[in-house]
Amino acid sequence: MHMFALKQKSFALILGSCMLLASYTSASTNVVLKKNIDGSVIYPRTNTHYSLYLLNKQNISEFNHGRAPTPNEIKAWNKDVMPDGEGLPQGQGSVEQGDELYSAQCLSCHGDFGAGGNGYPTLTGGQGTLKNQLLEAGDQPPMRTIGSYWPYASTLFWYIQSSMPFNNPKSLSNDETYALVAYLLSVNEIEIDGIELEDEYVLTKEKFLKIKMPNVDGFYPVSPERSDLKEQRPPLAQGTRCMKNCKSSNVVFIKNEITGFDPKISTIKDLVKTKNQSKNAAEKEIYSQSCAACHSNDSLGAPVLGDKVAWSEVLKKGVKQVYTNAIDGINAMPPRGGNMELSDKELENLIDYMINVSK
Amino acid sequence: MTKKRKDLEIKPTNRRDFFKKTAFLSASLIASSSILAPIKITASSLDDPAIIDQASWGTKLGDLVDKNHYGLPSPYEHNNVRRVHDLLSSGDRYATVSMSPLHQQEGIITPNGLFFNRSHSGTTQVDPHKFRLMIHGLLDKPLVLTLEELKRYPSESRIHFIECPANGSTGWRGPQFDNLQFVKGMMSSAEWTGVPLKVVLKELGLHKNAKWMLAEGSDNSEMARSIPIEKVLDDAMLVWGQNGEPLRAEQGYPVRLLLPGWEGNLNVKWLKRLEFSSKPWHSKEETSKYTMLQKNGKAINYFWPMEVNSIITSPCPEVPWSSLKKGDIIEITGLAWSGRGTIKTVDISLDGGKNWIEASLKGLILPKSWTRFSYIIKWDAKEKMLLSRAIDDSGHIQPSINKLIENVGVEGIYHRNPIVGWFVSNKGEVKNAHVRS
Repeated sequence: MHMFALKQKSFALILGSCMLLASYTSASTNVVLKKNIDGSVIYPRTNTHYSLYLLNKQNISEFNHGRAPTPNEIKAWNKDVMPDGEGLPQGQGSVEQGDELYSAQCLSCHGDFGAGGNGYPTLTGGQGTLKNQLLEAGDQPPMRTIGSYWPYASTLFWYIQSSMPFNNPKSLSNDETYALVAYLLSVNEIEIDGIELEDEYVLTKEKFLKIKMPNVDGFYPVSPERSDLKEQRPPLAQGTRCMKNCKSSNVVFIKNEITGFDPKISTIKDLVKTKNQSKNAAEKEIYSQSCAACHSNDSLGAPVLGDKVAWSEVLKKGVKQVYTNAIDGINAMPPRGGNMELSDKELENLIDYMINVSK
Repeated sequence: MTKKRKDLEIKPTNRRDFFKKTAFLSASLIASSSILAPIKITASSLDDPAIIDQASWGTKLGDLVDKNHYGLPSPYEHNNVRRVHDLLSSGDRYATVSMSPLHQQEGIITPNGLFFNRSHSGTTQVDPHKFRLMIHGLLDKPLVLTLEELKRYPSESRIHFIECPANGSTGWRGPQFDNLQFVKGMMSSAEWTGVPLKVVLKELGLHKNAKWMLAEGSDNSEMARSIPIEKVLDDAMLVWGQNGEPLRAEQGYPVRLLLPGWEGNLNVKWLKRLEFSSKPWHSKEETSKYTMLQKNGKAINYFWPMEVNSIITSPCPEVPWSSLKKGDIIEITGLAWSGRGTIKTVDISLDGGKNWIEASLKGLILPKSWTRFSYIIKWDAKEKMLLSRAIDDSGHIQPSINKLIENVGVEGIYHRNPIVGWFVSNKGEVKNAHVRS
């Protein structure tokens, strides 16, 4: 009876997973799947399944792990700054102070006046270039800089303070960060409230909140209410499923070969000769492959590596005899320890190594 | 070994055997040899020495079982490694990407040591004892968890790929790199273990106006991204396990955010803080970077899922057909994936897109996961232009290169998922080539 119940239960389970599979299969034919705001399919999470994955069926949800953070802990970590100024600390700094800081801590990567270099981002210029397309050699590409592209100054303050300078982040005070933001706005010729940022201009929190970046409307909006997200985002481009006699097309090959991969591209399966092998590396390797099985313990009567007494006994015969015995074999030991690939010289080096370790 | 004798591979296994066998040796062979050599079987030209001769590794002990406390690949596989190129770095090798060798990956899981590695300020080493995860903002019960406390939640394991949105961008103006590794190697896949974020949030009293979540890393660059609540409450996870072991440092040890199917950079590594708000943050990585400039000068930001995509992984420039003989039967195989759902169909073209055939899907077919496809042909030693085209269950079909460029121009480097493939010469050499109309 018990067996039967068990059988029935597992049958139901199998049936359950079949139905689950079937629901996905039918989904692939005609059923419209529910989609999330990103346009992706939402797979329902039931008490037993998430898509094809099984879940723990116990309905437990009160875990009560961890503790509440203290107000100071939240303050220590909550350093982000939002476009409306939420999170922006008090402070002030002048363009001139920013210039000095920039020369000392930023210029080596970002270049004079934010002109870029060494592969690091360019911080200035580029206004009016965002519609450019680099289609042919010689075309001017768009330049995405703080002045031409960044929509909000809040990002600048937050990013500089949390992540810059690259090799010494979180080292700038609030005043220093205000000064650097002032300098970067100034070299990008961005005005605040119609006022140009001259050397003596002092940026404060109050003035910061009035900054309007030139490209603030340059992004497709995501409003806080996300009215734009109510429509699921379509893919950037949708293909068609043509199967026969589709549009003919041209094959385009690589124009300029690129080299400089590190490590270089190779699929060769060989052994790499290791450089700077440690002393006696060859002997150690031979020992572990050909000798250790017997010489690492005394159960077979072989002198154990490192056993001074046993080896001094062996050496009473003289080292020449030890070499000969190893070549010809002695007692339970086969000739050359069973490794016929070993030359006489290799065998002698090996024995010298074993003797040295056992002195 | 200095004097390895390749012609004398057959060796006695014990002393008695040894004398029995050496009795057959000719005197001249003994004389020419400085040692007592074993026998040589007279080989016919049809015989494969790899079978006829004793294999050298079969006649000596292997490595000690405890040689490597953490196991390593065969030393013969030393070319199966990640690779970098200075063209893809921003000035140094801290803020760069190392590409995964997809041409040597099997199945749908990337070994942890070969998982592609993209960081904005190097690989951070977090002390697990000092790891804390803070959850605060628009919720009733803000929370701090240690690693041990986080791992007390019931775990779930799921297979998902992670792909950098710039994957494939190395060829959008035209084919650039002549290898699979740099064409599509900015992605990898693993079985991730952790807890769904909604399980943790369930008891924290999330406010109705909590529409966005900030995920912030603890690394040098404090990588931070705004995530809409709909994703958080769908399939987002806090993960600490990667293919059966703790996350690799390169993947955010000890804890990263996992947003299945979404841009790699949103899966914030070395996670430190989750904050809930009614509005998005507009962090540096969602304004200055990871946004896509269009032809009209406006840019898309907050575009999250990786589009449906596919690539043939065999053959490819690193795995050509040059050793095939005419008439040999050979499998075309590759990977298809979509951040919007589950792979439904993959079609293959052998003639540059004029005609297509539906390939077979192989193995596990899971949501937001790599899916293997397969099509077997008889090699006719004729030129081919191989292409693959994937369709997912959200209804998204891979577009042609022309169609994608027509829609979004050439300046945004992200989310490039057009149909691509490989040109195969009549000698079986494989080259990166694009099909343009």
